[in-house]
Amino acid sequence: MKCRVRVAGIVILSIFLFSAYFISYNALFIKKKEVASEAMDKAGGVLVSLPPTVLRFLAGEFKGLVADYLVLEAGAQMGTYVRRTVDGKYEVIDKELDWHEIHQLFVASQVLDPSFQQTYLLAQGSLPWEAGLVNETQKILQTAALNRPWDWQPLQLKGFNYYFFLKNFGEAGKIFLEAAKIPNAPSYLAILGARLALQGGETEAAIFLLQSMLQGKSEDDPGYEDIVQRLNALKGTLVLTKAAKQYENHYDHPPPSVSHLVTSGFLSKLPKNPYNVAYCIDTAGTVHFDKPNCRDAN
Amino acid sequence: MLNNLQATGGSKQGMKVKGTEGTVYTIDFYEKLWLLAHSTFIEGVRHRALWAIVVLSILLTMTNIFVAELFSWDLGKVSVEFGLSAIAFTGLLLIFFLGMKLLADDLEKQHIHMIMARPVKGWHYIVGKFFGFTFILLLASGIISIGTALSMQYLIWQFPAYIPPNFSWLTYLMAITCQLMLLLMVLAVSFLCYSFASQPFVALLLSVSSYLVGQNMELLRRVVRENAYAGVVAGQEWLVLALSWIFPNLSLFDKKYVAAYGLPFSGQEFFLLFLYCVSYCAIVLFFTALLFNRKELL
Repeated sequence: MKCRVRVAGIVILSIFLFSAYFISYNALFIKKKEVASEAMDKAGGVLVSLPPTVLRFLAGEFKGLVADYLVLEAGAQMGTYVRRTVDGKYEVIDKELDWHEIHQLFVASQVLDPSFQQTYLLAQGSLPWEAGLVNETQKILQTAALNRPWDWQPLQLKGFNYYFFLKNFGEAGKIFLEAAKIPNAPSYLAILGARLALQGGETEAAIFLLQSMLQGKSEDDPGYEDIVQRLNALKGTLVLTKAAKQYENHYDHPPPSVSHLVTSGFLSKLPKNPYNVAYCIDTAGTVHFDKPNCRDAN
Repeated sequence: MLNNLQATGGSKQGMKVKGTEGTVYTIDFYEKLWLLAHSTFIEGVRHRALWAIVVLSILLTMTNIFVAELFSWDLGKVSVEFGLSAIAFTGLLLIFFLGMKLLADDLEKQHIHMIMARPVKGWHYIVGKFFGFTFILLLASGIISIGTALSMQYLIWQFPAYIPPNFSWLTYLMAITCQLMLLLMVLAVSFLCYSFASQPFVALLLSVSSYLVGQNMELLRRVVRENAYAGVVAGQEWLVLALSWIFPNLSLFDKKYVAAYGLPFSGQEFFLLFLYCVSYCAIVLFFTALLFNRKELL
């Protein structure tokens, strides 16, 4: 009898333990699968190639620490070599930097810890300026942006690179506007983004992004009024741009001024510019809300 | 301590034993486990290796602040990762070098015969030893955790702008608990290896290999699934899946990244991890006891 009770106890306990093991691990495994594929997308597929995989294997659970070390190593490689001369002074020795290796260090660090701020800031401070590796830096910034959803700086820097190095104003504007949507992002990003997007012919995208930014804000939030003003200016610009396009299709040349759009019947009235200056259309047919004398500038 | 386990007979509630002063009293199952666990804990605490490891870990903790200050951004992340890595590193040293050594000493110095000659069954010995080592791990992890928490608090106080915005002490505590659960799973696997390996060195080698496999289970699965150049294992995901049910999936417990960046960590996931850890350890210890009973102790 005692033996039966013991066997029954063992059987019940075993069933419980195996059930608990199966349920918990199965649930965790499914969850991990989903997260892993998401992280894979975020890392831009770089994990598929063998060297980072080997790196991750070797780092094991100390990935974060190894990532820290790699960034320090990159910083050390970029540092200055100083030599003491015979008269007791110091001289800086010019050294050839292996930018490819430094870039690889940043990439490896990001493979192990895609969220580390030091990696993308150090990469941005060196790679595009000194090595001309703008596209490589953009990839590092993109990975950082995807893995740091609370941080607006990677997108701000990415937008800056588009503006400054790649001269792609439209894309820069779009990215500034994307950065401006992140909580705690400075409100000037939205203004800057809208201006650049307009310059790059991305007016509709700029309007859409500014509208979506306003959805989560209240009128008391800092920068709210600035965004509303810029939004209204862009809306006015869009109305004028569409009418100017119709005018150009009809007359085969751009309108000589915005008031011609009203006199020729393409518009019933001119939209109000929230900045209290007149809209201006230049000789190429581009509408400006912030350059009342744009034709003189041409 | 173990002298208290002088048997004089059995009873329904437990085992009648004679104390050192000739007093006869009854000890039950829990008391036996407690005595074994306590003696193991005392044995471990008296061992120099434990204190050498603890001193090393305290030094690591103290260097935490200096290491964090080597970086210009994300100091909080560096500190959290460093602290949790110190716990992991110390725990692994304790398991592989102190735990395995004490188990091996029991066999080599024939201490085990003193224990097994008393009314103690094989599985009592295994479970009691396991709890004893658990207390040692708790003690060491507790000391390091306090050190790392203090260094983190110092950084929060000194550099509040460089702490992740969503940093939470609760998540930090949960990550430490997960780290401890990871160590317990490694400990359970080490016991299993010890129970069937013919030599202590072989047991150590098998335990370290199991740890590496468990730590890289997710990586292995990804390589097999996504890397066409993975050789004979390419596309054999079922093989990794099968292995992941046998080896402990330790990567699930690695929450350093989550704690470092203050990412969300649900109570549900924590509970599942707890359930997974408890059930896996219990199952592994069950098989360990089975194998241990068949082990040639002479």
